[in-house]
Amino acid sequence: MRRLEGKRAVVTGGGSGIGRASAIRFAREGAAVLVVGRAGNTEETAAAIRSEGETASALIIDASIEENVAEIVRRCVSELGGLEVFFANIGVTGTNTPLLEQTVEEWSEVYRINTISCFLAIKYAGRHMTAQGYGSIILTSSAASLRANAGAISYSASKAAVNNLAQTAANAFAGTGVRVNAVLPGLVETQLTRKVFEDARARGIEAKLGHVTPMKRPGRSEEIAAAAAFLASDDSSYVDGQLLSVDGGVSSTHPYGRIAL
Amino acid sequence: MNSRLQDRVCVVTGAARGIGLAIAERFGREGGRLACVDVSARRLEPAVEGLKSEGFEARAYGVDVGKREDVHALFAQIESEFAAPVAVLVNNAVWARFEPLAQIEIETVERMFAVGVHGLIWTTQAAAPQMERRGGGSIVNLSSVSAFNPAKDSIAYSALKAGVVGLSRASAIELSAKKIRVNVIAPGMIGTPASIAQFDEATIAARQAEMPAGRFGEPEEIAALAAFLASDDASYIQGAVVTADGGWTIPAR
Repeated sequence: MRRLEGKRAVVTGGGSGIGRASAIRFAREGAAVLVVGRAGNTEETAAAIRSEGETASALIIDASIEENVAEIVRRCVSELGGLEVFFANIGVTGTNTPLLEQTVEEWSEVYRINTISCFLAIKYAGRHMTAQGYGSIILTSSAASLRANAGAISYSASKAAVNNLAQTAANAFAGTGVRVNAVLPGLVETQLTRKVFEDARARGIEAKLGHVTPMKRPGRSEEIAAAAAFLASDDSSYVDGQLLSVDGGVSSTHPYGRIAL
Repeated sequence: MNSRLQDRVCVVTGAARGIGLAIAERFGREGGRLACVDVSARRLEPAVEGLKSEGFEARAYGVDVGKREDVHALFAQIESEFAAPVAVLVNNAVWARFEPLAQIEIETVERMFAVGVHGLIWTTQAAAPQMERRGGGSIVNLSSVSAFNPAKDSIAYSALKAGVVGLSRASAIELSAKKIRVNVIAPGMIGTPASIAQFDEATIAARQAEMPAGRFGEPEEIAALAAFLASDDASYIQGAVVTADGGWTIPAR
């Protein structure tokens, strides 16, 4: 039972981490995938998929710019023959500058890349999908959208806006057959979080990473990809406007986990 | 990818019909070995015969989950008859009445909570040691959008379903160390015969118009979500509440 058989899917931020794992998982579920990213590793993801006998193209482009997102949708339709799934997955972390020192420039950039990129995905994929009466749009949010001290402040706020966008866009697409949901990863080792993991390894406390979650470990990109595949597929056909936490329980339990556990 | 529950003993309560039966059927298609529990042996027998005729391994257990001793005996019997510990537990059984405040009787509330909250504590208590013995497991509990967004005449029901969320998340904390995940499904309006029968046609049309999906859900759609949460595809999902309501509770009106 390959759950994305015959579907055409865009995955942005597909060169590494959650995007790469999701592109590979979508392809293994039968989807033809347009892997989008800014760097050369985008092509590597597509090549890895093709080496498994599945279908993928790569497009090296910045998915935070309006005309580029329009181009991504056009390319998916022209190269892969259609578009049923769009996973909007690019993001930046923001900085841990003290709050009172933060600048509008940083906030604008974090919002542009984390939040407005999701709006653009919804706008251009949504035009195509509402016209065909079918589609699933998935936005990458974060456990930091629900809890403080799980990421930079600008990052956390930008991801909370993504949550709201999943809900308001789902409502705006009422009756169109197009669903919009967000996936909220906890701590996962990706390009974005590499420094956290490297610092922990350097200090010999890697085993403590993820210890505030009930599951006492960080997540893996493949675990986020499995959730994204669920949201992409018709297995989630009645799930719309939802925020799916994939965080080992950090957002669903007592915040003072170390004491409670 | 097509057999995510291969060879796993899956207990489904309230399995005789509706969402519970759809879950059992989906788990069967994913390779699960089905321990079907329902308070009504009379309704359960033909349902389990149907599952067997689809080629699934399925056994019927007519047990009231509200009774602690019966539940512990049930899980011992399941482990013995399947010759394997339970890997997956879906708490779907429910008994409910929807009434205005003044009409709520002691017997109604006691029965609702015996099945829908106490029952979950007893099944979790009985299943956890078996799951721990096999190196982990997954528990999926059925709540409702009523837990957070109650409708009319659902004072007892909302309390019941909010209770499911609390006990699930608290269980998640304790059971994480045993590699057991506990998650919650909050369905909206699902078009089972029992739920449709509560409403006249005008009410049904009005409710559907409120939903971005424009329709009630199908039991199979809840079953697909249950299969995801039960499987290793949800291996980093813990204590989560996943709403499947076609977007019903998203808009303000």
